[in-house]
Amino acid sequence: MGMSAASSVSEAMKLCIFDLRRGQHEGQELDKILYFFPADLPFPTQLSVIGLSEGLITFTRIFSPEDPCEVIEAEKHSHVFYEAERDIWMVMVVEKSDSEAIWRTSALRSVLKEVHSLFVMFHGSIRALLDREPSGGLSRTHLYYFIMDYLSDFLSGKKLHLPNFRDSLKERGMVQMLTIGREAALEVQSLVRVLKSCAGCTQSYSLIMFQDLLVSTTLSPDDLINLFTYTVMRLTPNALSAGASSWSYLRKGSTTSNASGSLLTSSNLVLDPYYSSRDTSPVGVRSYQVVRPLQHEKWSKGKDGFLVSDIWGTEVGSLSPSSPTILFKQTEERMYLCAFQHRSLTIILFIPVTSVHNGEQGLSVVKQQILENASPKIFKVEEKLSRGWDGENAYHVSGYRYLLVDGDRCISRASPPGKVTTLAKDSLVAMSKLREEVDLEKSRAKCDGSDCEKDQEICIRAKNGAWVISRLTRGKELYMVLEKANETLLYASEAVEKFSDRYCSGVFSL
Amino acid sequence: MSAQASSSQSSGFGSSGALSHVFMQYPPLRCKIPGARNVFYDDGTKQLIVPTSDQVFCWKTTPFNPNVTPSSDLIGEGPILSIRYSLNLKLLAVQRSPHEVQIQNRESGDTFTQKCRSESERILGFFWTDSPTCDIVFVKTSGLELFLCSSGIRSLQLAETKKLNVSWYVYTHESRLVLLASGMQCKSLTGYQISSVGIVRLPRFDMAMAKSEANRKPVLAAEDIYIITVYGRIYCLQLDKIAMQLHCYRFYRDAVIQQGSFPVYSNKIAVSVVDNVLLVHQVDAKVVIIYDIFADSQGPVSAPLPLLVRGFPRSNAAASQLMGQNVEGLEGKDSNHGEIVIYGDEWVFLVPDLICDIANGVLWKIHLDLEAISSSSSEVQAILEFLQRRKLEANKAKLLCLAMTRTIILERRPVPMVARAIDVLVNSFSLSIKTGKHQAGSKVERSSTTSGSSVDGAIGKSISQVETFEKSPIQESGSGMHDKSIVKSSSFTSDSEDNVSFAENRGKSKNVDLSSSEQNGGNLVGTDLSVSEAQPSVVRPKDPGPGSTPLRIDEQQESLITSAAISPDDLCCFVFASVEEEMAGDASYLVAIIVEFLRSANLERLKVPSNIYVLMIQLLARNENYAELGLFITTKIIEPSKEVAMQLLASGRQNFQTKKLSLDMLRELALHHDYVLLLVQDGYYLEALRYARKTEVNTVQPSLFLEAAYASNDSHHLAAVLRFFSDFIPGFKSTTEHQTYGRCLAEMNTVVTA
Repeated sequence: MGMSAASSVSEAMKLCIFDLRRGQHEGQELDKILYFFPADLPFPTQLSVIGLSEGLITFTRIFSPEDPCEVIEAEKHSHVFYEAERDIWMVMVVEKSDSEAIWRTSALRSVLKEVHSLFVMFHGSIRALLDREPSGGLSRTHLYYFIMDYLSDFLSGKKLHLPNFRDSLKERGMVQMLTIGREAALEVQSLVRVLKSCAGCTQSYSLIMFQDLLVSTTLSPDDLINLFTYTVMRLTPNALSAGASSWSYLRKGSTTSNASGSLLTSSNLVLDPYYSSRDTSPVGVRSYQVVRPLQHEKWSKGKDGFLVSDIWGTEVGSLSPSSPTILFKQTEERMYLCAFQHRSLTIILFIPVTSVHNGEQGLSVVKQQILENASPKIFKVEEKLSRGWDGENAYHVSGYRYLLVDGDRCISRASPPGKVTTLAKDSLVAMSKLREEVDLEKSRAKCDGSDCEKDQEICIRAKNGAWVISRLTRGKELYMVLEKANETLLYASEAVEKFSDRYCSGVFSL
Repeated sequence: MSAQASSSQSSGFGSSGALSHVFMQYPPLRCKIPGARNVFYDDGTKQLIVPTSDQVFCWKTTPFNPNVTPSSDLIGEGPILSIRYSLNLKLLAVQRSPHEVQIQNRESGDTFTQKCRSESERILGFFWTDSPTCDIVFVKTSGLELFLCSSGIRSLQLAETKKLNVSWYVYTHESRLVLLASGMQCKSLTGYQISSVGIVRLPRFDMAMAKSEANRKPVLAAEDIYIITVYGRIYCLQLDKIAMQLHCYRFYRDAVIQQGSFPVYSNKIAVSVVDNVLLVHQVDAKVVIIYDIFADSQGPVSAPLPLLVRGFPRSNAAASQLMGQNVEGLEGKDSNHGEIVIYGDEWVFLVPDLICDIANGVLWKIHLDLEAISSSSSEVQAILEFLQRRKLEANKAKLLCLAMTRTIILERRPVPMVARAIDVLVNSFSLSIKTGKHQAGSKVERSSTTSGSSVDGAIGKSISQVETFEKSPIQESGSGMHDKSIVKSSSFTSDSEDNVSFAENRGKSKNVDLSSSEQNGGNLVGTDLSVSEAQPSVVRPKDPGPGSTPLRIDEQQESLITSAAISPDDLCCFVFASVEEEMAGDASYLVAIIVEFLRSANLERLKVPSNIYVLMIQLLARNENYAELGLFITTKIIEPSKEVAMQLLASGRQNFQTKKLSLDMLRELALHHDYVLLLVQDGYYLEALRYARKTEVNTVQPSLFLEAAYASNDSHHLAAVLRFFSDFIPGFKSTTEHQTYGRCLAEMNTVVTA
């Protein structure tokens, strides 16, 4: 079944990862391929995609050594480039076949960024894996399973649904926050301190989520985005109850129960050829033990409220599953991930592996501490937040369809997806185009190297008469579609002003 | 005088080596008069009375001053069974026999005698009251007789009688409550509260008594009954010698409820109340056990320890210099006695906190050593609650609380424990603020910082506190009757320039009420029998004439320091700020503590000073927890203020996001001038101009904008800025700035064209 699914989506999208440092000799070209989707594509085709990409990178490096190629817009395809690690490139090729295939480059690139960044969080950098095992088998196996699991989230029916113009009021790689009052915030902070004391070490961190929204964290922004993304993908109550209606800002209805695994073909079939092409294949593929953190339906809530998964295998000499670990980006420290869930509240504690003695035993002490000392506060916080929670349309502002991005703090907020779908296609396409422009402008400013973030405002009248507006000011961005404000520019501008004063404490008011 | 007292005090503290929680301060009040026959204590006027053959000497015991000069009255010769001054001190009543009481007008010297009508009844005793319906009450074997005593009339007018067979009675003026015992075992008690509110009859009730043998029924004696007044509530303690228990009954208007028992370790006990703390003297064992019956717990506050004398000069040299003149004569005698015998046979315990050593003719006042009590327990929360309830030495209690809180933080005790301690302090302050004492609180703070705690002042203040506390029941129930009484009491005081303090007291008592009602469960709340508001009349004897006015004023100032409540400012200043220096390495712990403090303060709706937020920002920035800091700002845990914004700005030098938070805060606070200035400094001069124009800020100097535009090396921008000022500031074109930058602009343009 996997095979057929894979080939049916093969037309629409190709994704490859290759290492410019490998396979530089004639006859060893296959060696540079670390990952290719669809996996069953014939090698000549794979090599031709990678060859073109490599050629362009080499060519553009002449002019811009630091920032070579970003995108190729061909007549029928867009090639989106992303240099994930030094000399390790990810390239996504999408078709411009039908009317839905209107892409925004940076939205696609943020998919590449996200999957890579998640990969690094669980497995470490690709380069490190390659260094550990130069044959590349380890890296390929890990990448294969990881990206396949990741892509299955985009699968709706038999089609991969990549972010297109319909997602122009979304921003990947951002965190969505729950707005809470001061009193609740103080309760939450009190809980955060108790959690820290439960962890019993000063270098522990916590992440508290309500539904799919962030409540509080002590993580650094880089790690936060990854862990927030992962939590929303696999750990929140919505993610756990796969199949039940979910309303995540990130992806809607993506975790359908039959999605998992349908992209995967038998790993030997896919991965073996890379080795047979090589003279020396020291280890077989099957000997790798692969941890698949993105695998579906692997997490469940235990009786004690802690989330458990056998993804990380089982402890040697015991039946209980080992605790998951992740890598912090900045410190590159390996941390235990210990998740507790009470109704809508998900609490994750990160504790350095080095500071927990006796491994699992030490962790169970921490868990016991949480149950004993923190649970009253957890219940209290959950109750308080639930009472103040207005449901998935809490942040809907009637008359407006908006996206707010605070680039400095990596926080975004948008109209609920259900409301965005009411917009006409013209409006969304216009917004997608507008954002493409803004992206361009931003990257230009970055190239200029000026550290001054200029204010910027664009208002466009779309074909259907809707106002499509963007306003940027000092690191904060506001995108807005006003379909019913079809009078004058002044009217539209005042609507933005009103929104800014009311919901953004006047950030965008001029 | 005060200087002497305080100096002797300090020497006392120095010399006290042994451990005790309760002590008597040397020197005592000496009341030995040659030829004295007996010693009486009049608790209505709080005077110690020593009669000789033809006159009485009388020492005021409040405020307690060992050197007070006794006043004296000449009275006729004859036996004295009992003696009491009227509450206004104008009359003196002496019981001469079981059948007659002699009343003497102190000014005119007129006397008349009130006798029993029938020979069969005996007068057991009498007391003066402040009830509107009677002035003096005789307790007879046949019941109570209430008399009016109008001046000029040479006899008492009978106002009311309460018929009842009485074996013996117990009365304290403090509670206005008289308990009459009747029955074979004398264990059936009837109570009347005769106060300025009127007369309340309590339901008859029986005391529980354990039987020793099947046939013998024990008889309850008057010595085994103690009426005590704590926190404005009235209790009766009954010693059951067979069960070795001290039973505790609480009086309500319509009920008497037993509220547990205290164990007794001595055949002879005595009871004192100091600052609403119950002291049970185990006389045989020579130890005191301390109970705080505010809370439900019946456990003692601390372990039993002996009662000690402090400040007793081993070598008399030092002490003799300190003593006042009027004690000089007695001094030598005292030194002959050498050691003071604690719990001597001749000791009489007076209500509420005095001990009269009749053998030596000295009167001691009992003190609590808050410091020793607080250091003897490891249960910080309980001790803080105990200290917060102290009124007598509020200042000292407050300082102790601050010190304890500091200590537990410095010792890195677990956060939840420190949080509970802080909760106690915050709740206590909130209570005091609700009762209108917060201004007093702030004064406390000032005084506590400037002057050390002088015992002398503390005593004076404590008395006034006790009184204000006692008054609290006035407000307790809002019934019409009570309202009336309030009016009455304030009219009493209005002639002594006392209105202000009364208003304060009134507000306060409401809350006391509240707390007490919380404890007694529903139906009893409203009917709590309290020390009636008659209490203001206790004040009366203290200001009989204009001569004593200055004293009163002093007292009033002191009385502002009535509570150990610690304001958030004090906590920040004396706890958080001070520990911060000592625990620089552990910022996150301190942040956790402060979060708990903010949570606690928020629950009580208390405002916290912005310097605690500034401190928090410093701590978070020091650990580079900028993400967390951002969260604290956006969730308004750190409330916005200019000080906070400025600290963010300072901390934001290392972190541009923090700096942006500061800018946002300035804008949200509508501090437009600062916002514009910062925008210009950051190079956003065009945005700043636009914002300045919108918010009509014209206080920022044009040269700053022009300089910024010039520095950006963009001639368009410079031109735009120049144009802006030319258009919007009248007369700008004639300034030197315009000329200077006009020239700059011209130069820039020539460079471009060249």
